[in-house]
Amino acid sequence: MNVKTGVFAWAPPRAGALGNELLIGLTLAIVVLPQAIAFSTTLAGLPSYFGLYCAIWGVLFTALLNPSRVFHGGPNSTLSAVVGVTLLPVAPQFGPDYIGYALTLFLLAGLIQLVFLAVRPLGRMLDFVSEPVANGMICGIGLYMIFKSFPAFAGLPINTQVEWRLWIAWQSFLAVLEIGNLHAIHIGLITLLVTIVARQFAALRNWAILLGIVAGTLYSEWLNARLGLAATLVEQTANVSAAGFVYPSVPLVAQEAMPDIISIIPGAVTLALLGLFQTVAAMRRMNRRSGQFVDARHGIFADALSNCVLPFISALPTCASFNRMSLMHAMNTGSRLAAVSSALFLLALVSFFGDFIAIIPVPAMAAIIMVVGANMIDWSDIRAHFQHRPEAIVFSASFLSVHLFGLFGAVICGSLLALAYAKWEKAHPNVSLEHNVLRIRGNIYYGSLPVIESLYHRASTDARIDELIVDFSAVHHIDPEGIRWLAEVGRNGKVRFIDRRSGQDRRAVSGESPPDRKRRDRRRRHTL
Amino acid sequence: MKPLAPAWRKAIRLALLIGVLLALYALALAKHDERARIREQPVTLTPGCADKLARYGLAAGATYVSPYALARTGQATVRRGYSEEDVRAIERGCNIIDDLQGQLAADPARERWNATRFVRGTHTSCDHCHQGIGDKQTAAGVPQPGSLSLAASWVMADMYDQFTGILLPYELRQMQCYINSSNGYKPNIADDLIRDVTAYGRFLAAALDLRFGNRYPEQGIDEVTASSTLKRGDDYVRGGALFREKCARCHGPQGLGTVVDGKVLFPAVAGPNAFNLQSRNNFSFVSTILPGFICRNMPLGEEGTLSNQDCRDIAFYVSNLPRPAGDKQGPLAALWQQLMMHVMPPLIHTVESWQRPGETVGSGT
Repeated sequence: MNVKTGVFAWAPPRAGALGNELLIGLTLAIVVLPQAIAFSTTLAGLPSYFGLYCAIWGVLFTALLNPSRVFHGGPNSTLSAVVGVTLLPVAPQFGPDYIGYALTLFLLAGLIQLVFLAVRPLGRMLDFVSEPVANGMICGIGLYMIFKSFPAFAGLPINTQVEWRLWIAWQSFLAVLEIGNLHAIHIGLITLLVTIVARQFAALRNWAILLGIVAGTLYSEWLNARLGLAATLVEQTANVSAAGFVYPSVPLVAQEAMPDIISIIPGAVTLALLGLFQTVAAMRRMNRRSGQFVDARHGIFADALSNCVLPFISALPTCASFNRMSLMHAMNTGSRLAAVSSALFLLALVSFFGDFIAIIPVPAMAAIIMVVGANMIDWSDIRAHFQHRPEAIVFSASFLSVHLFGLFGAVICGSLLALAYAKWEKAHPNVSLEHNVLRIRGNIYYGSLPVIESLYHRASTDARIDELIVDFSAVHHIDPEGIRWLAEVGRNGKVRFIDRRSGQDRRAVSGESPPDRKRRDRRRRHTL
Repeated sequence: MKPLAPAWRKAIRLALLIGVLLALYALALAKHDERARIREQPVTLTPGCADKLARYGLAAGATYVSPYALARTGQATVRRGYSEEDVRAIERGCNIIDDLQGQLAADPARERWNATRFVRGTHTSCDHCHQGIGDKQTAAGVPQPGSLSLAASWVMADMYDQFTGILLPYELRQMQCYINSSNGYKPNIADDLIRDVTAYGRFLAAALDLRFGNRYPEQGIDEVTASSTLKRGDDYVRGGALFREKCARCHGPQGLGTVVDGKVLFPAVAGPNAFNLQSRNNFSFVSTILPGFICRNMPLGEEGTLSNQDCRDIAFYVSNLPRPAGDKQGPLAALWQQLMMHVMPPLIHTVESWQRPGETVGSGT
C-alpha cells in the first residue's frame, strides 16, 4: 500500500450531494462539541480548548490524510481517560506544568505511532490485542469514567490521590452522597435524565447528549438568576472563544522534568496503542458496513502524522470515533467533505458562540461522561465473550486489571493472557485412538508432544494392538522436536505411518526434490 | 411464559435505571440532612480538649482576645470573634486531633466524621505525632520547638512540599497524614473532617498569637540527620537492643502497642495497626523524621535522654519491623503484607513454643 496515493484520492461528490455533505458536517460539529469539552475538562484534566482544537484540527488533518469516506477523528473518551490517569500523579490538573507534561505525552504517543507505521511487524502486533482484551479494557475504562466523574457530578474537588482506583471511587461515591453540592447534583441529574430519556427515541438518539447539556445549562442559568453563582457555587466551563483559530504550544522537555517524562512513557505507549487500535478496529468495521475497502494502514498513517502535529497547537490526540462514524454511515456520507466541513463548522461555532459554551456547568459535563462511560459497556459483547470460558477469563482479567494495575498493566496482562490462551489451544491437539489407528489433528510441537506421547505410549504398550498406525495427515505444523519424535517413533517396528504427503507431492517422481524447496520443515525432513 | 415485547423490556429497563437514580438521590438527601444535624448539635469535648479550649478562651462572640497571649505578653490583639457554628467546628476539630478513633465518644462515627474510614487499624490518632493535641508545650507553658505544631503549620499557609515540590495548602497537607496510615481511602478535600481540623489549627494560631506567613520553631520536627551523630552508621542490632531496653515496656516486645479495655494506651509502632511502608516515619523512606520524633518525645517521661545516634538506631530497627503497605505499593502488596502480618506471628509463636516447650513467648500485646 502506498499511503501517498491515498492522501490525494478524492472522490468527486455526487451531483447535488454537496448540501447533504454540509448537513452531515454541521450535525457532526454539533454532536462533537459537548463531547470535546467534556472529555478534555472532566477526563483529561485540560482546559476545554484542548478538546475543541482536537475536534477541529484533528478531524481536519485526519480527513485530509485518510482516504476513507466515513472516517471521523477527534477527541476520544478512552484516550482522554488515559491522559488523566497518566498525568494525575505528575502535576496538579489544569496547571501549566500539567499542560506541558500533557503535550509531551501526546508528542511521545504520536512518535510511537509513527514507529508503528514505519516498522510493519509492529503494526501487525496490533492484531494480537484480541477482541476480549480490547473489550475488557474498554468496559473497564467505561466503568472508570463513571467513577471518575462522581466528584465533578456533585461539584466536589477531584481527589488527587489516585493509587487505589476502586477505593477512591467508593470514597468519592460516599462523598457525593454525604457532602456533594446539591445544586450541582440537581444539574447533573437533570442532564442525565434528559439524555437517558432522549436516547430512547431513534430520532433523538444522536442529539441526546446535546439536549441533556441544553437542559442542564438552562436549569443552571435559572438557578444563577434566582440565587446567584456565588450561592450555588457551581463551576462553569470557561469561555474559549478568546483562544482564536490556533493556540500554539510547545511540549515540556526540560532536564528537571526528565524523571517525570520517563515515568509517563508507559502511559504514552498505552495512549498510542489504544488510539491505533480503535482506529484500526473502527476502519475494519466500517469497511464491512460501507463496502468501500480502505487499508487500515491509511488510518495509522493519518493518526500518527496528526498526533505528531497536534501537540504543537494545544489539541488532544486524535483517533477514530466509532459512534460518529456510525452516524456518518447512517446519514449516507459520500465523500470526505463531510468530515472537513464538520471541522470548519465547529471552528465557526466556537468562534461565534463562545459565550454560550462558557456557561455550560461542569456537573452537566460529568453527567455526559457518565452516559458515554455507560455506553462503552456493551452487554451484547460481554455476553458473547462469556459463552466461551477462555475468552471470558481473558475478558475478566483485562477488565479487572484496568482497575487494579492501570491501563498499561491491563494491556500487558490481557495480551499475555490472550497469547497464553492461543498457545494452550495449540498445545492440546485433537488426538484419538480408534482401534489401532492413532489420529493426530493440530500441531506437533514441543508444547503438544507430552499430550500426544501419553496416548501413543498407552497404545504402543497395549498387548492387543499388533500394528499401530499413526495418522498425522491432518497436522498442519511440525516443529524440529516433533520431527525428531516422529523419527524415533518410526524406528519402532510395531508402528506404521499413514502417508502424509499431498497428492501433488505424491505425483512428483519419488526420490527427486519436491517443487517448493523453500519450505523449511520439508527441507529438514529430507535431512532426517 | 411469553417473553415480553422489546418495547416493554426497554421501558422496564428505563424505569429501573431512573428508579435507581432517584433512589440514590433520596439517599443523598437523607445523608445531607444527617450531616446538617450533626453540624448543629452541641459537641461533647474530650477531657484534653475541654481543658485546652477553656484555657484559650474559646467562646462565641463578636471579638476574640486570647487569654494566653494576654497573660504572656500583656498585650491583647483583638480579633474577629467566632460564631456558634465556628465554635462547634473548632471543638469537633480538636476532638478529632485528640481522639481520632472516637474511643472517648458515645457515637464515634458521627462525632468524628467517620475519620476511621481513612486510616488503617484501630490505633491511629493525630495526637500520636502532633502531641499535646497539636500544640505541645514545655513545662514553662511555651510551645515546644519541633513539636509538629498545627498552629505554626497553619500560619505557613501554602507550603511547597519539600519532597514532591508541589504547592500544597493546609487542607491538602493534611492528606500526608492520611498517606502515613493509609488504607487506600482518602477524604475529599471538601469533607467536614478536613474543614474542622483546619478550623481548629486556625484557632490555635489565633490563640497563640502566631503571625501569618512566619516560620516558627515549633513547626515541623527537629530532624536528626546522620551528620548530627558520631557517624558510626545506623545500627540495626544496637537499635534492637535499645528498643527492648527503652521502648518495649510500653510498645510491647514486637512493637504491637498496648491496648487496655479497648483503649489504646501506647500505639503500635509495628504490625497491622502501625504507620505504613510509605509513611514519612519509615526510616528507609525518610531517615530523619522518626529519629527526630523519638529524640524529642520518647521515652515518655524521660524525654531528651536518648542521643541522636540512639534515636537513629531505634528508628532504623522499628522501621524494619513488619507493617502495612502504603498507597504506592498498591492493593495487592497491601493484601500480602496483611497476610504475612496475620499469619507469621502465630506461626513463629507455634514454632518457638514447639522448640522450647514451657517457655512463655511474648506475643506483643
